[in-house]
Amino acid sequence: MSSGIFTQLVLRAIRSDYLNNLSGFAWLILQPLMLLAVYAFVFTSIFKARIPELEPSAFVPFLAVAFWPWTAFSESVLRASNVVTANAALIGKVAFPTELLPLSVVTATFLMHTAGYLAVLIVLQLTGTEIHWFGLLPAAIILVFLYLFAAALALIFSALHVFVRDLGQMLPPLMTFWFFMSPILYSPSLLPDGLASLVRWNPIAWFVGRLRDALMFDGFSPAWSDLIVPAAVLLLGLLALGFFRRMSGHFEDFL
Amino acid sequence: MSGPALRPLEEPLVVLEGVSKIYPRVNRPGERLRAFVALLAGREPRDGALVLDDISLEVRAGESLGIIGENGAGKSTLLKILTGVISPSRGQARSNARMAALLELGAGFQPEFSGLDNVRMKGALLGMSPREIDDNLDQILEFASIGEYIYEPVKHYSSGMVVRLGFAVVTASNPQLLITDEVLAVGDESFQKKCVRWLERFLADGNTLLMVSHSMYLVQKLCRKALWIHQGKAREYGEVFDVTQSYLAWHESRNAFERNQRNQETGDSGLYRLESFRFSEGVEGREHAIRQGEPLQVELKLYSPDGRAPAGLVGIVRADGTPIYGVASEVEGVVPRRVDDSHFALSIRFESLPLLPGNYAIHGHAMDPEGMRLCDTAELRFRVRGESRELGFVRLEHRWITED
Repeated sequence: MSSGIFTQLVLRAIRSDYLNNLSGFAWLILQPLMLLAVYAFVFTSIFKARIPELEPSAFVPFLAVAFWPWTAFSESVLRASNVVTANAALIGKVAFPTELLPLSVVTATFLMHTAGYLAVLIVLQLTGTEIHWFGLLPAAIILVFLYLFAAALALIFSALHVFVRDLGQMLPPLMTFWFFMSPILYSPSLLPDGLASLVRWNPIAWFVGRLRDALMFDGFSPAWSDLIVPAAVLLLGLLALGFFRRMSGHFEDFL
Repeated sequence: MSGPALRPLEEPLVVLEGVSKIYPRVNRPGERLRAFVALLAGREPRDGALVLDDISLEVRAGESLGIIGENGAGKSTLLKILTGVISPSRGQARSNARMAALLELGAGFQPEFSGLDNVRMKGALLGMSPREIDDNLDQILEFASIGEYIYEPVKHYSSGMVVRLGFAVVTASNPQLLITDEVLAVGDESFQKKCVRWLERFLADGNTLLMVSHSMYLVQKLCRKALWIHQGKAREYGEVFDVTQSYLAWHESRNAFERNQRNQETGDSGLYRLESFRFSEGVEGREHAIRQGEPLQVELKLYSPDGRAPAGLVGIVRADGTPIYGVASEVEGVVPRRVDDSHFALSIRFESLPLLPGNYAIHGHAMDPEGMRLCDTAELRFRVRGESRELGFVRLEHRWITED
């Protein structure tokens, strides 16, 4: 029954956020591509960034493989964080499982960016980077957990935003900080020792590292984090859902 | 989900147990934060508006309940708790029914999208599967009768079209329990009638209706029971006619009270007085009630300072003071019976009172013997009981003629 609502909400989010004009889908791919070009120019031509383990030309694919999942992650969390407040009229008038609102936004964003991600992987292959296509399966599993992680945060933030409106101003800079604290633009091996041990606690580091392992390198040496991160994500997801549901009956008081 | 027929009668569709709702004060960020912390700790908000106070209610399958009350009495909040849109601050709310709530017909409509897209969304929100929506699409479009506009964005619709489309989806969603909040007031006359006809069929099929309305006509027409919410409390619950009548009477007497305040100055004083004014039957001090069509008799005792017989005037007014009928003894050539030198008595009897159910007052006046000056006034209140669906306050003798 609620699957029908969910489908409709996802379709609506896709159409209003991405496809409300003809070039919407093109921009979905073009915009991150342009951003990638900017980063590539700044970091290869100005900062002369190198990935120690790789040749200089490998910087762009190294960045691209991690950049798209991060964009999907941060964009979906930011978009979903105000979805409850934005739909105040609906929430006060229609009885439905409210958690579908943030979940539909996260789902729509991930669907759209996954399409973009595949397009970029193909572009990379065509421009001479070797993509390990057998790595797509583990990559897909990793992306599913990234999606669950985003969904959990979206549930927490969208519920919190109803009560603490300042969250809308706080989240974007925090996300930017998180971006630079994650080994997306750089390899973790470049970090000074103190920071490196700190970044190891960042779950995004595990996600981008494993995605690179799957798609760019062959090696996939198992680690404890391969169990801990997915388990932690599942646990966080359950807690977030419980928190959201407990709060959702009181949204209307604060909207 | 089982159909309505399979559900045992004993099991109520909706149960409210001691439900109270306190809206926390959240105007300033500090207040928001405090209310949020209280919420996290599971405490009640310390200061806030008590909108509902200890309401208990059971609605069984096949019942129809009208919720009435003044603006701001808490009716809409009660519906929101019933539908699960908000949680009560105290008490419990349970429901187990395929429920369609129409707190606002256009809710869930996105103005940028076409009517058709919005029908799909609304249908999904009402628990319909995509197939059900497709199967019922023709029926929905026919009920809404908005023609080619269905492909236009909803922002180009008139408010009446939005309402029609919203209600059309509800009719197709086949709910067991329909909850509406004053939504029928929006459409035009013919659409309202269409909705009322649909609701009557819906109830005849054994479904359940909970509606908020300010139209006593609609409530009496569609509901068998009524709940009167007054300042967040359940003031009266019972048969629809009893509750709506006391609600209207309360309104009328409140209006009359306000008018009396203004008319304080115009008190009458005079030589001729009304010594007593009472119903010939009925118990002193108890509310006088008769059934529609029963006789009403009142007795006037008049005092005269000069031994001449005063005239009596009797008038019936609605509880809000609207005059209905009045007659003076002097006009009809009636002279009061002399009791002693200065006292006179007079009774008036309405053999079968044609007043429709409601609250009324009968006024007695003492006049000078010429019937020129009003000297003294007394008032008695009474109530006419009944289940009439006629309009107005008096039954006029009539017959319908159907042959040519």
